Amino acid sequence: MTLDLPEKTKDELRELRELSRQAEDGDLEARVKLQRRVKAASPEIVAEASNLAALSETPMVKFISAGDALMCEALPKRLALMRAEIAGENPTPLEILLSERIVSCWLLVQVVEALAAQQIYSRYKKEKTTLFSLPFQRYVLKWQESASSRYLAAIKDLARVRKLQMNTPNVQVNTQINVIRP
Amino acid sequence: MPWEKREGRGRYYTRTRRVDGRRVREYIGGGVPGEIAAFSDEHKRRVREETAAHLRERREELEALAAPVACLEEAAEILAHATLVAAGYHRHRGNWRLYRDA
Repeated sequence: MTLDLPEKTKDELRELRELSRQAEDGDLEARVKLQRRVKAASPEIVAEASNLAALSETPMVKFISAGDALMCEALPKRLALMRAEIAGENPTPLEILLSERIVSCWLLVQVVEALAAQQIYSRYKKEKTTLFSLPFQRYVLKWQESASSRYLAAIKDLARVRKLQMNTPNVQVNTQINVIRP
Repeated sequence: MPWEKREGRGRYYTRTRRVDGRRVREYIGGGVPGEIAAFSDEHKRRVREETAAHLRERREELEALAAPVACLEEAAEILAHATLVAAGYHRHRGNWRLYRDA
């Protein structure tokens, strides 16, 4: 069974995407409508997405801990700490969702790392395993790259939203270095 | 079929492989050498199938674990984009800028 968002939430997201496109094309009416829809739909989308993140967390934690009871207990606590730390004090619904995304992406990176480590370990132990095959290594490497870049993109998105929501201008620091030549 | 029957000569074990895109048939023979070759080929085939099934299983497992994360990412991206556009921002050559009238 694959975990997914409810159809109602997906419809809301489709509507938001369409309104965003229209507003970006310069439709002022669409922008006003979008402001109303974002305000109305945000709590539900955030709640459903957080639900999905919580449900998907358990199988990933089980995969990473590979039967280690201590890791299985400790990892969800670490994830909760990460979530709180990233979201910060008084987060907006969007910040909560983006924090959930960062934590989920981090967990996915750990899943792929665990799979890669499993292969290296089996190679090191010279176990006659089917896991250490070249096509599968390539496949895991591709996943490692993809998961890492998605994790970094998630961090970047939260930073951008925070910066733009604060409406602060870019800070440019110029440093002058004078070199005295003999 | 790897085992061939010849008139009055019993059974022969044959092995087919590809050489430069052509199918080349190698005649191993009958009796004990044929039986050994048949057993070895059968074992290799079974290992290959088991490996493929195992890798498929691992791939499916990884993809099933990653699917909800992709859903969450998409939802977050759409909502973040919509929030910024609603706040009066637009993308200009990859950068977000505030509309003058916002």
